[in-house]
Amino acid sequence: MSMDERSLDALDRALFALPLEEPPADLRSSILLATAYRPVSPFSFWEIAVAGALGAVTVWLVALLVMGGGSLFTHTVNAIVATLAGALSNAATWEWLVAGSATAVWLSLFTFSQPVVARSHRSARENVR
Amino acid sequence: MKAISEDGELVELTLRGNPEAFATLVERYDRAVYHLSYRMLHHVEDARDVTQEAFFKAFRSLRTFKPGAKFSTWIFAIAYHACCDRLSRRKHDSSDELPDRADPSQGPEQQAIAADDATRLRRAIDALPEKYRTVITLFHLQGQQYEEIANVLGLPMGTVKTHLFRAKEQLRRLLEGTEVTES
Repeated sequence: MSMDERSLDALDRALFALPLEEPPADLRSSILLATAYRPVSPFSFWEIAVAGALGAVTVWLVALLVMGGGSLFTHTVNAIVATLAGALSNAATWEWLVAGSATAVWLSLFTFSQPVVARSHRSARENVR
Repeated sequence: MKAISEDGELVELTLRGNPEAFATLVERYDRAVYHLSYRMLHHVEDARDVTQEAFFKAFRSLRTFKPGAKFSTWIFAIAYHACCDRLSRRKHDSSDELPDRADPSQGPEQQAIAADDATRLRRAIDALPEKYRTVITLFHLQGQQYEEIANVLGLPMGTVKTHLFRAKEQLRRLLEGTEVTES
């Protein structure tokens, strides 16, 4: 073994024996608080969004009623209900709904969205061999 | 949890909602990731931020971790890229070239006087050019697993071996005259 090899071996041993840097004391706890032990919200984003929207509508309704807009509100609701009832009592509406549903079912029988399995270049080369 | 030795199992347990499994992974690698970041960045706060960022990214994208892969290689690669980003930002922010030496005002030879072996070795490593410093740090962390080092750095294995050889040559020259012993 030459002198150079011996000194490189010693260097390797010294490298492996080198102690790791001491991280800041609170590093681990801050990592864990940001990852595994992150406080989880009891509600999902969508639950909070829906609750917020319902709350806003409720506030709007209360404000409307308090400000004397009760009759306007009743009139609007009656108009919406009447329009819906009129549409649904029309046979043509039902015919269009049935036609639309049937088309959707018919289209779903085709497999247009079947994914094409991609082969890696490596496996392609191996197949050629 | 401590009895489980395989990192892959810990990843699976984490994905199944077991936070202690990820805590074990953090416990195993936080020091090594910090060490790599510190050796690359030479800045305590930056190394701390990068270590946190690496584990946060790993936690968020744990589903993309390939079964059979080594968690250590994966987390080191994330940290390495985060360090590279930070270094390039520093370079961008500063009009000066990034120093290749940790402390340009004083050479490692001078610093080595009256310092113990580990300190001398650390200073010598810090005096290496960045690419050699990183490869020698990963060699220190991962042992002679050249393929793993190559995976972390995204370099061919031959390049890693060449860098490592040159890094050791430079280290040896830097430490010449002050015998390196095991500390």
